[in-house]
Amino acid sequence: MSQARPPMPRESVPPVRTERTFQRFTRGQRWEHGLLLVAFTVLLLTGLPQKYRAAAWSQHILATPERVELLRTIHRAAAVLLILEVVYHLGHALWLMSRRRLPGAMLPTWQDVRDAAGMLRYLLYLSKAKPRFGKYNFEQKFTYWFLFFGLGILIASGLILWFPLFFTRFLPGGIIPAAKFAHSTEAIVAGGFVLLWHFYHVHVERLNLSMFTGRLSEEEMRQQHPLEHERLMAEADPEAQAE
Amino acid sequence: MKRTPYRLAALLLGLLGLGLAAFQAFAQQEQPGVSNDSCLACHADPNLSMLLQNGGQLSLFIDPEVFAQSVHGQGGYACVQCHTGLRGYPHPSFQAADRRDLSLQLYAACQRCHSGEYQRTLDSAHEQARDRGVREAAVCTDCHGAHDTRQLTDAQNGALLPESRSWIPQTCARCHNAIYEKYLTSVHGAALLEEDNPDVPTCIDCHGVHSIEDPTTAAFRLRSPQLCAGCHTDPERMGKYGLTTQVLDTYVADFHGTTVTLFEKQSADADTNKPVCFDCHGVHDIRRTDDPVRGLQVRENLLARCQVCHPGASSNFPDAWLSHYVPSAERYPLVFAVDTFYKFFIPVVLGGMGLIVALDASWRVRRRLAGRRKPRAAPASPGQPPKAGSGPQQEPPSG
Repeated sequence: MSQARPPMPRESVPPVRTERTFQRFTRGQRWEHGLLLVAFTVLLLTGLPQKYRAAAWSQHILATPERVELLRTIHRAAAVLLILEVVYHLGHALWLMSRRRLPGAMLPTWQDVRDAAGMLRYLLYLSKAKPRFGKYNFEQKFTYWFLFFGLGILIASGLILWFPLFFTRFLPGGIIPAAKFAHSTEAIVAGGFVLLWHFYHVHVERLNLSMFTGRLSEEEMRQQHPLEHERLMAEADPEAQAE
Repeated sequence: MKRTPYRLAALLLGLLGLGLAAFQAFAQQEQPGVSNDSCLACHADPNLSMLLQNGGQLSLFIDPEVFAQSVHGQGGYACVQCHTGLRGYPHPSFQAADRRDLSLQLYAACQRCHSGEYQRTLDSAHEQARDRGVREAAVCTDCHGAHDTRQLTDAQNGALLPESRSWIPQTCARCHNAIYEKYLTSVHGAALLEEDNPDVPTCIDCHGVHSIEDPTTAAFRLRSPQLCAGCHTDPERMGKYGLTTQVLDTYVADFHGTTVTLFEKQSADADTNKPVCFDCHGVHDIRRTDDPVRGLQVRENLLARCQVCHPGASSNFPDAWLSHYVPSAERYPLVFAVDTFYKFFIPVVLGGMGLIVALDASWRVRRRLAGRRKPRAAPASPGQPPKAGSGPQQEPPSG
């Protein structure tokens, strides 16, 4: 997916610094992330007062029956948005799979475990070499799959709480308090995960806006995803790489 | 100049004297001028009666025995302390449209001595009903009697006498008989009237005395769980009967109780259909939960309660409510399992991630500090994010 922009040197003009960029996320993927971001934030903000309903700040927000109803309505509207996004995501993956075009880059492999161990050794000064990552490193895969299963739990338990009469027709009644506990706890885990892990890696460790711009510079590709960079370069110009 | 203080003292003394004289005159006026014997000379006659304006006969007979045994008779109070304005003989005639009119005219006399209790009745549901034109709504004498008023509390400490307890529901029953009949069948009422149990509530323990509140308001409904909790979270009282004191906590932890207690604190007048204790356990006909016929441990009974608000609830549905139990491996193992899973999952996952992030961050900070100490290790490519290119010594060769 390289977009090689070959420099065109001319005698009279000083060399223009050009930078190759690589597409990292498609427009569709960026839209999906945007939807997820909005829905997740709204769900977290409207869910927290419901979870910490005994706290003074929460009771201030939830003071009247009308406000409780409003908050729950917003929560459910955002939940519908999130569910639609997840359905689209899974549907799109199935569609790609049916055409044998689903990229496997996001699937977890044993190499990710080795990379994680290698990174830990590197951070502990036990090893000099930093692991070299492909298109998605172990941290990014972990983010994806952690939220994949987390959202699965949240959506399933949320639907049980939304339609208790329907679900208790074929499931034991204890599923409702269990779902309530799972929903509120998993939400905290997911929220803490995004704040601690995801925000650290895309904002603090380095500012990585590729999910919004869709692109990474060649320097970033070389630094962060050397294996993928090599692969792309070899694809674009097999002979040059062979030298 | 020097005489002024004396003048002031004289003036004050004079004022004090005047005040004392006025008080004495007032006190003398308050003294009963007419002895009870004088009244009873006529009113001990069982045939003494008067004609009411509606044509009814009103007996004016006062049984001296009954009055002597009443709390006021024992205290030596005089008739004219309540029936003020009746001095000398013959006293002015008394006009009343009917018996009720008579009571309504005379009961205000109670406030001369019992002003605190009287003031509290002004906020009561009975007073509100009377304001709406319900003349039958109780006044002092309807509950306490007029000439046969009982001693209900300990004269020393004001506590309710044990023998007064069963008198209370019987008194309320004079008007609220249907409720009394229900109360008799309840676990509380049966224990009070059959075995004189000192721990069960009488009417006033929930409804209050004198300032009896309208129990049909949204505010009363929201506050009612705290009312029940007053006894049902008291370990000493519940311990005697083997009852759990976790009933309030477990209720508050659940959907319904959460909402009810939230509104109770934040908007006390909010209307809510969320169930409170009495929606499931009953109002005046509260039964033991293991009552074989009406108890909530009978599954159909609980389901019927659920279906009041959740029509179409299946027989599985009542288990959504933990029946005041705290989930454990024996009871509600599914909830307990989820609880236990997260107890391990959260520290392991979030803790592990926190550790990696902390390691990564400290590595970056140390590298930056090292880079500052060695200025010659300049960034290879300015304009790149801090990580890229800075500290080439540590960065593995790329590309």
